[in-house]
Amino acid sequence: MLEIKDLHVNVFGKEILKGLSLTVPPGEVHAIMGPNGAGKSTTSYTLAGRAGYEVTGGEIDFYGEDVTALSPEERAAKGIFLAFQYPMEIPGVSTMNFLKTAMNAQAKLRNEPELDAAQFLRTVRAAAKELNISEDMLKRPLNVGFSGGEKKRNETLQMALLKPRLAILDEMDSGLDIDALKLVAEGVNKLRAPDRSFLVITHYQRLLDYIVPDVIHILSGGKIVMSGDKSLALQLEENGYDAVINKAA
Amino acid sequence: MAKVVSLDNLLASVAARRSEAAPWLGALIDAASEKFAHVGLPNRRIEAWRYSDLAKALHETVKVESDLDAPPALAEACVAAFENGVLDDSKSSYCAMGAQSLRKVLAEKDSPFAGIIGRINPQADHPIINLNTALMEEGLVLHVPKGVTLATPLHLRFNWSGVDAASADGRHLRILVVLDEDAEATLFESHDGAPSFATVVTELSLAPNSKLTHVRLENFAAAARQTAATVGSVGEKAAYRGFYFSQGGHFARHEALMKLAGEEADARIDAAYMVADKRHCDNTTVMDHAVPNTTSTQVFRGVLAGSSRGVYQGCVKVAQAAQKTDARQLSRAMLLSHRAEIVTKPELEIFADDVKCSHGATAGELDANALFFLRARGIPEAEARAMLVEAFLIEAMDTVENEAMRAIVIACAHTWMLRHAGEASHVE
Repeated sequence: MLEIKDLHVNVFGKEILKGLSLTVPPGEVHAIMGPNGAGKSTTSYTLAGRAGYEVTGGEIDFYGEDVTALSPEERAAKGIFLAFQYPMEIPGVSTMNFLKTAMNAQAKLRNEPELDAAQFLRTVRAAAKELNISEDMLKRPLNVGFSGGEKKRNETLQMALLKPRLAILDEMDSGLDIDALKLVAEGVNKLRAPDRSFLVITHYQRLLDYIVPDVIHILSGGKIVMSGDKSLALQLEENGYDAVINKAA
Repeated sequence: MAKVVSLDNLLASVAARRSEAAPWLGALIDAASEKFAHVGLPNRRIEAWRYSDLAKALHETVKVESDLDAPPALAEACVAAFENGVLDDSKSSYCAMGAQSLRKVLAEKDSPFAGIIGRINPQADHPIINLNTALMEEGLVLHVPKGVTLATPLHLRFNWSGVDAASADGRHLRILVVLDEDAEATLFESHDGAPSFATVVTELSLAPNSKLTHVRLENFAAAARQTAATVGSVGEKAAYRGFYFSQGGHFARHEALMKLAGEEADARIDAAYMVADKRHCDNTTVMDHAVPNTTSTQVFRGVLAGSSRGVYQGCVKVAQAAQKTDARQLSRAMLLSHRAEIVTKPELEIFADDVKCSHGATAGELDANALFFLRARGIPEAEARAMLVEAFLIEAMDTVENEAMRAIVIACAHTWMLRHAGEASHVE
């Protein structure tokens, strides 16, 4: 359960989030939509704990614990996962080695036993197959030379392996054609579970045709100005952000 | 307490050595010592030593750590073990491959190497090589006859276990490796501990069609003061493959001075250096393309932490006759702290008009986006930093073909990263 209470965030001394409040119960999928500059990316980076996103007020409670003072790795170990809009290319680090390091690091932070080599390989291969990720991709350096679709599938693979309690999908659809989008959305939908919630951050309604949210929030000027069911996305698509936001105000 | 190394002490030692030398050696010593006396110990007023002031470094006091890393053991190699600058036969096995001690060669009235020592790609005005020639005593000579491939590597293991109080003028070591036509050999050179002042000159003569693989590992303690030079001549269709690893020292300089002397000669150097604290690490190269159709490649990658200083000076010379030269040079440095410093100085002297010469230099920080990405997946900061540092260097280390040597190099890099890659820095 994620509860964001009156969150204020400064980036480079400028206030971007100005009192954001939001609750995502377990098992639900919530979408945050909003025009450019509304604070969508700031929201996702702040939740994941990126340095430079300074919380000046409010709380981020995750299963009853305020996580605002925790490092990104501690938040990851608590089960917060950010799927990046633009996943990093890291030459020199093989995808396989990265996955193993991440899984073992989280196990260690949670005081769980690490997977042995055979278990690890079995787990990764099975998850990779589901997402149509080849053995060759796993051997290549992380995201280097991957297409947009491959990068997003790789993010989905990490999500499947790390089993977060909250997955934040930051503009999951950017850089994807419709076939790639379907494949990624299918992968995400398979991961929907009663003890896992999703926060889908997107500019366009398109993604929400494939990952259907329980609640849609509209973010504008650093706070949520409107919430509703999935029909809200269709209103936005028809009338544009300005009209809908002005009507709300 | 060791005496300060001074020009007077050095010249007095040269005079003593001169009086005992055979005529052929005496002539060599005379020429070198005259030039050396003229210039003295190099300081920053000499352009090539501007960023590495040896005279100043020798006057600074250094503190030798008590527990020094043990030198690496390379399985299945012939070893020439130098303990505090002296060849130790009880720890060596070089005779098995036909090598002999320099001391023995220098004592001969008429050595077959008399016309070779000091005459491979000669550096008449080099102050340190001249000093080394004038005072060389210990070292090794290896001659690989025509068509012979040495199956086992030669491990030149230099280990300095403490301050060499007996020597007021440092230790000056000379290695000579002569490969005849179609010969092949592998050299593994390791430097450990803390010499108070050492010079090492490695002369390499590669006859046509020969191939030398040369892996150098400087794994010094912080107090080490050494300046070394690899001086080579690469003949027609011969190949030099160098890999250099260094973690610097109080003063640690290595120069690769290679002459591409025959058509289709090829020299390739890959290097990785990792420097922390207040250490200094200088990599200087001169690739001298003397004839047409030769190639040289150099890729240097460095990671600098603390308030360390790295120096890369890369000079490419192309003679007027050396058409179709292909010379590439790249220096990439990653700075882990605001106080660390890298000096990069490419120099191109090109007198031919149909050549390909490229050079590039970058200096940057650890990628903050990549670091956040790894941490957001649950990888702790220190480990994430080490992963990114390793990723930056691995391309260089992967060029070491010999598996056992590569494992030693990677182990040194890991040790360094455990100690330094996680250090707090300015990356947010």
